[in-house]
Amino acid sequence: MADSFDRKRLAPLKDSVAIVGVGETDYGADYRGAGGQAAKKGEARYDSYTLASRALKRALDDSGLKKDDIDGLCTGPTLSGERASELWGLNPRWSGSGDAAQCIIEAAMAINCGLCTTVALVYGNAQRSMNTAYGGAQVTGGGITSYFYYAPWGLTSQGALYALFFQRHKLLYGTTEEQLGAIAVAFRKHACMNPNAVMQKPLTIEDYMKAPYVAEPLRLFDYCLINDGGVAIIVRRADMAKDLKQKPVMVSAFGWSEENVDATQLRPRLKDFYHTAHRGVAAQVYPMAGVTPKDIDVFATYDSFSVHLLASLEGFGFCKEGEGGPFVQNGRIEIGGELPCNTSGGMLSESYMQSWNHQPELVRQLRGGLGARQVEGAEVAQYVHDVAGKCKSIIYTKGS
Amino acid sequence: MATARPIRSMDPYAQEFWTYTQKKELRLQKCSDCGKFRFPPGPTCDKCLSDEAEWAAVSGRGKVLSWTTFRRKYFEEYPAPHTVIVLELDEGPLFTSYPVDVNVSDLSEGMVLSLRWTDGQDKFGEYNLPVFGPPSA
Repeated sequence: MADSFDRKRLAPLKDSVAIVGVGETDYGADYRGAGGQAAKKGEARYDSYTLASRALKRALDDSGLKKDDIDGLCTGPTLSGERASELWGLNPRWSGSGDAAQCIIEAAMAINCGLCTTVALVYGNAQRSMNTAYGGAQVTGGGITSYFYYAPWGLTSQGALYALFFQRHKLLYGTTEEQLGAIAVAFRKHACMNPNAVMQKPLTIEDYMKAPYVAEPLRLFDYCLINDGGVAIIVRRADMAKDLKQKPVMVSAFGWSEENVDATQLRPRLKDFYHTAHRGVAAQVYPMAGVTPKDIDVFATYDSFSVHLLASLEGFGFCKEGEGGPFVQNGRIEIGGELPCNTSGGMLSESYMQSWNHQPELVRQLRGGLGARQVEGAEVAQYVHDVAGKCKSIIYTKGS
Repeated sequence: MATARPIRSMDPYAQEFWTYTQKKELRLQKCSDCGKFRFPPGPTCDKCLSDEAEWAAVSGRGKVLSWTTFRRKYFEEYPAPHTVIVLELDEGPLFTSYPVDVNVSDLSEGMVLSLRWTDGQDKFGEYNLPVFGPPSA
């Protein structure tokens, strides 16, 4: 595939838009039924739009902007942009949709094109209330993807696909299950410092190893949560982002690279660990932001499974290929360590917002003042989105 | 009655693949123009976009790339524990299946396994399911 991105055109977009507001629902309280959201699986009391609306209101309050300042809208999974616009009384001049990183990139492009100035990115998912399944008989037969194509042989669930990934990593590099366990342990430690996180009980490596396998070699705590929630992010043109309620956080770089060829065969997953996509994105984001992996103060990766972190650390050059297991040991990825990762607790222990909850956390870390959870002196943060080889990344920096 | 299996993803191309299994033939589409194998079956070659393809028989020999064991029941048809493997066929494509006549603890990277057949059916009808076991001597 031609590597045709144009560094000269990307360069001026550095710091051209900023995050000026973030809002989230009360993940922990809602999970426990204290926030009015469902207390049990399958007991829907509100839907995704209710959660998204709440997050949007909070993000606007956080930014100090008014609803009428919004002229662009991006919606995440489960929401229809048309219905969301109507619900919130918006007639956007531009709209988009996708995962969080995709929406940030799209919003940056739309703003830079002059179509709009202030974009609300909104996500809501009542997946626990709705008893959403990510494997098994409810998700078979839909079409061609590895998610369900191999159902006749009994292969199902994203978890099993990442189990195959980790088993391959074990076979090639000797990575151990104890090494992998350090990831779930670290993220849980972070969640315990985050009052809004669903999981508040400390997790030791012994607890991790004692937990049952789900799709071996992955155990229970390698899997993300299933919970309800909403997230909203306000992206604004940089010159209009000053003198607002919060100090802006700059979008200093973004990149995008997908690895879909022979994906249903699992080739990019098992023969490449998606590193071609990682390298493609790394070649865009680091030069654009003018940083290297050594400059990253806070890191977050999509973590529907712990395994994602190994893949992105290796692919983006934080360590060599195959050395992710040793790299995540001895507190290196914990707050206070060399590279704090998923400092909110991530999707394993804070909230499974399908990448959306990582953005507010990185923004807060760069704003500062998070108490015990604060990564001291954080100035550069990176988010890596890698869902089955569809890779994007955002580098955020502290604005003034 | 053939063994019930979780439902197949079905379209006209998958239908052809499964029809060959009724004769215990494992055939994959191979581009008539550039020779690339593709799987799952589909309308066009992902390398050259040619829509001319033949259903080429594969040797049924492959090397183990990875495996996972389900410790929870996801399908009624597959009580736990159930192990799934991914092989790299000699012809190049990767193929997902499950192992037979081999202990999971004996699986290893690069282990050679070969094609066996077992029966299956779903709402689309009866077919044979390609599975993999130790090569016969």
